[in-house]
Amino acid sequence: MPLSANASVPEPGASALTPATRALIASLGQPAPARTAFAEARFMHVLDRPLVISGELAWLGGDHLERQVRQPRPELASIAGGKVTLQRAGKRARHFSLSRAPQLQVLLDSFVALLSGDANRLATTFTIRRSGTAAQWQLTLVPRDAHVAGSVASIEVDGAGRQSRCMRVHQANGDLAVDLLGPLAAKMPTAPTRESLQVLCRGGS
Amino acid sequence: MKGRGRGRAALLLVWLLLLAGLGLFVVKRLNVSTDLRSFMPAPTTPDQRLLMEQVGDGPGSRLLLLALREACPAATAPAAAGKKAAGHGSVTRSATVACARDTPSVDARLAALSQGLVGKLQHDPRYSQVLDGSFALGALDSRLLPYRYLLSPTLDTQPLDEAYLADQLRQRLDDLSSPAAGLLQGLLPRDPILEVLKLAEQWAPPKSPQMRDGVWFSKRHEALLLVQTVAPGFDPTAQQQAIDGIRQAFQALPGSAGATLEFSGPGYFSVLVAAQTRQQADWIGRISTVGFIALLLLAYRSISSLLLSALPIASAALAGIAVLTLVFPAVHGITLAFGFTLLGVAQEYPIRVLSHRRAGEDALSSVRALWPLLLTAIASACIAYLAFYASGVNGLKQLAVFTIVGLLVAGFSTRYLLVRLLPVRVRDVADMRWLAKARDLVDRLPRPRWIPALVALAIVLMLVLAPGPFWQNNLAALTPVPPQLLQRDARLREALGAPDVRYLLVLQAPSAQGVLALSERLQPQVDRLIARHAVDALELPSRYLPSVAVQEARQRKLPDRATLQHELAAASKGLPFRAGLFQPFVDDVEAARKLTPLTPQRYAKTPLGQRLAAMLVHRDGHWLGLGTVSGVHDLAALRALGAGSDGRVRLLDLKAASESLVAAYRTRILQALLVATVLLVLTITFALRSLRRAWHVLAPMTLATFLVLAVERMAGIEISLFHLIALILAGGLGLHYALFFERDTGDPAEQRRTLHATLVCVLSALLVFGMLAWASIPVLRAIGLTVSLGVAFHFCLSILMAPHSHASED
Repeated sequence: MPLSANASVPEPGASALTPATRALIASLGQPAPARTAFAEARFMHVLDRPLVISGELAWLGGDHLERQVRQPRPELASIAGGKVTLQRAGKRARHFSLSRAPQLQVLLDSFVALLSGDANRLATTFTIRRSGTAAQWQLTLVPRDAHVAGSVASIEVDGAGRQSRCMRVHQANGDLAVDLLGPLAAKMPTAPTRESLQVLCRGGS
Repeated sequence: MKGRGRGRAALLLVWLLLLAGLGLFVVKRLNVSTDLRSFMPAPTTPDQRLLMEQVGDGPGSRLLLLALREACPAATAPAAAGKKAAGHGSVTRSATVACARDTPSVDARLAALSQGLVGKLQHDPRYSQVLDGSFALGALDSRLLPYRYLLSPTLDTQPLDEAYLADQLRQRLDDLSSPAAGLLQGLLPRDPILEVLKLAEQWAPPKSPQMRDGVWFSKRHEALLLVQTVAPGFDPTAQQQAIDGIRQAFQALPGSAGATLEFSGPGYFSVLVAAQTRQQADWIGRISTVGFIALLLLAYRSISSLLLSALPIASAALAGIAVLTLVFPAVHGITLAFGFTLLGVAQEYPIRVLSHRRAGEDALSSVRALWPLLLTAIASACIAYLAFYASGVNGLKQLAVFTIVGLLVAGFSTRYLLVRLLPVRVRDVADMRWLAKARDLVDRLPRPRWIPALVALAIVLMLVLAPGPFWQNNLAALTPVPPQLLQRDARLREALGAPDVRYLLVLQAPSAQGVLALSERLQPQVDRLIARHAVDALELPSRYLPSVAVQEARQRKLPDRATLQHELAAASKGLPFRAGLFQPFVDDVEAARKLTPLTPQRYAKTPLGQRLAAMLVHRDGHWLGLGTVSGVHDLAALRALGAGSDGRVRLLDLKAASESLVAAYRTRILQALLVATVLLVLTITFALRSLRRAWHVLAPMTLATFLVLAVERMAGIEISLFHLIALILAGGLGLHYALFFERDTGDPAEQRRTLHATLVCVLSALLVFGMLAWASIPVLRAIGLTVSLGVAFHFCLSILMAPHSHASED
């Protein structure tokens, strides 16, 4: 079921995937629900230093994602049925439509496609480039939709074997969000830099 | 003989050229107004006066409600269904049957269409406000953005101090790490306290429908929009243009083929009803025209006579309109409709001439014998209609000018032009055998003297015993909107929280600022009413623009640049915001401190200012604020808002005001009728130079008129303006019947011709108006039924009450 307009175009890139890339993506698939710890650092031009949060990400099947932030302040964000709901302690829940946040839509697309091992879905939304080795691979996803690419320039996913370790979302305006996933989440430095995180993602220490 | 033929051809040519010239003149000059107001009498009470301005012009009545729905492929062809629903408002099956659908993606598509439509209509000068629920920064144009601190109530309770700023900045930081970051980032430097969002919330309709995919949706998966037109709601032509504009914009959107767009609201209904009425009238008109032609052909067996006899009527109509365009700046559509109806009398003139032709005699000499009587008929009708000119109501004045000019032109062109064109050789109808028998029958009818008394008694009894109210004051009841459309309107109105069209809360003050201040003072009371569920919502003008005093008070609370910078620095201590990030915010606050407060005039150029302009009107040296009301549950509580305000706050019931206006209008018509009756009695008595003869003409006419009234009342029909106009037409026809039946020439053949002419007139009137009586639209039925009954009663009574002719005395 196509969820967004850009996903409903015929799959021009699906056939362009090499068998190895296809196999790699397929091997990442997990049964829903899947949960993983995450730590995120956001480098934004409006901020002097990165914003760091941590918590748990959950894929509940279909296009239903939940992001539970624990640090520094609890917040529950859930994406389901094309709608985003934000809940903070002591505040009224806020809702907005996914269609108003195209950058969130591509994140959802990439995340769900990776977690379900759906190479075709990934290829309809992004052009995909794979590099590295099986033990230390990297996927670079570039949104096909020009409008979306105007806000999300690219997404880099680093992994080892059948595990994604790290997602780096490059905004077109130069902002960067780095998500460390699974065991790597615990290794988020207190004062991260773009460089130190890149090293972490690439499997360095 | 040849010379005469050439003369006839020349005369015909000149006449036709004259008509063509008149036609051209009319087409060039005619300016038809469809605004109901110009047909109404001058208002007398303050409420009526306000109504006259607000009928169609008030904020509520200019609102169009739009619903976008997925076209069901399973139901009837979507395009056809859409066209049908749009053109005639019939609710297709798809309206009630939910499609098997894939909800999220369909909603997303509809939301995209909804937003696309807003984008196209937003800057169209035909619409003052276009809302689909999505928050648009464009609502406040960027030039006015610094005004947000003067427009929003935040500063009333909350100074821009360190504590407040710190709390806000921490929240923004959380926002930046949340999935909503992308929505916010652009706004952050200029508006870290999100004042724009607070204003957007404040300006959203008071009772918003549910949001899906960023726009309003109904429970039935329709994307909902509100469009306020600049054109008044009851001007069908202007509304048609507004609706067409929306439809075109919609159809130009990619993906619009998969969805249907439906309209509701007063403007849409006025378009719909006008179209439906015209459609039915046209349809019936075509059938009865064919019947009318067949009848005349049967009666006179001459195509040329038939064609020629249409010339006086055409001349009458064109001359009538031409004079109207010379005398009045705009001619009202209703005047024309009524006028053409009343002009039906003029069809009698050529018919009389045709029936009274004698064998071997040319039309000119036939008409000479007839002319004095015909002239009496024309003159008395014209003199009677003069009363309408004296009524003082613009619409009725126009009606009088049109019909008087029309009748005179029809009469004189029949007498002096038509008769010179008619073929010389004709069949004398007096020789027809069936006619002789019919005349015989008529002459032998018993004519007891007690008939008038009996009829009068019956009339009185029926009028006394008749059920229900006598008058129909609700003009809308005559052109009703189909019930399923009203249901849909109620449903959409409830979903959108759109205001009622019936009630307005009127605030009055010497100045616009006074109105705004009054509105601000009233707001707490209104809030209490809403909390008590006395009303669902009540929107006051100050919601869109606070008074200058309040704006200045807020301005005084704004910190100066140094203070704000200091507080901001303290508030952002320990937070990672880049230094100098909030400079645009500081600049805006500084700018806001020096702004000249926003006034309605300065505001008027913006979309929201347009919205305000609809709620703030200047009149007679004072200003009125119009509060729109939706969902009235406790009318008494709402009325009580005005208690003790000396009339500065009052609830206007537009329905009651319009009904009182219609009643006032009717009083004018009745007064005019009374004067017309007196004039008629005088004219007829003078023309016939005998009270007794005048009695024979006027008594059957009067009795028949009241008999129609009594029979309709007995049938439970409430009498409206349209019934009165139809009664006047029937009365005009009846006057002819009575005049001609009363005429005693002592010549049996001439008496037969009179019967022939009258029969043709009666049958043609019955044909045309009898057809209308079957119409499903009440206004057409009212006219059709009244004239048909009238013609029948006038005919019967003028025969039964005519003086005994020589034939029967023999």
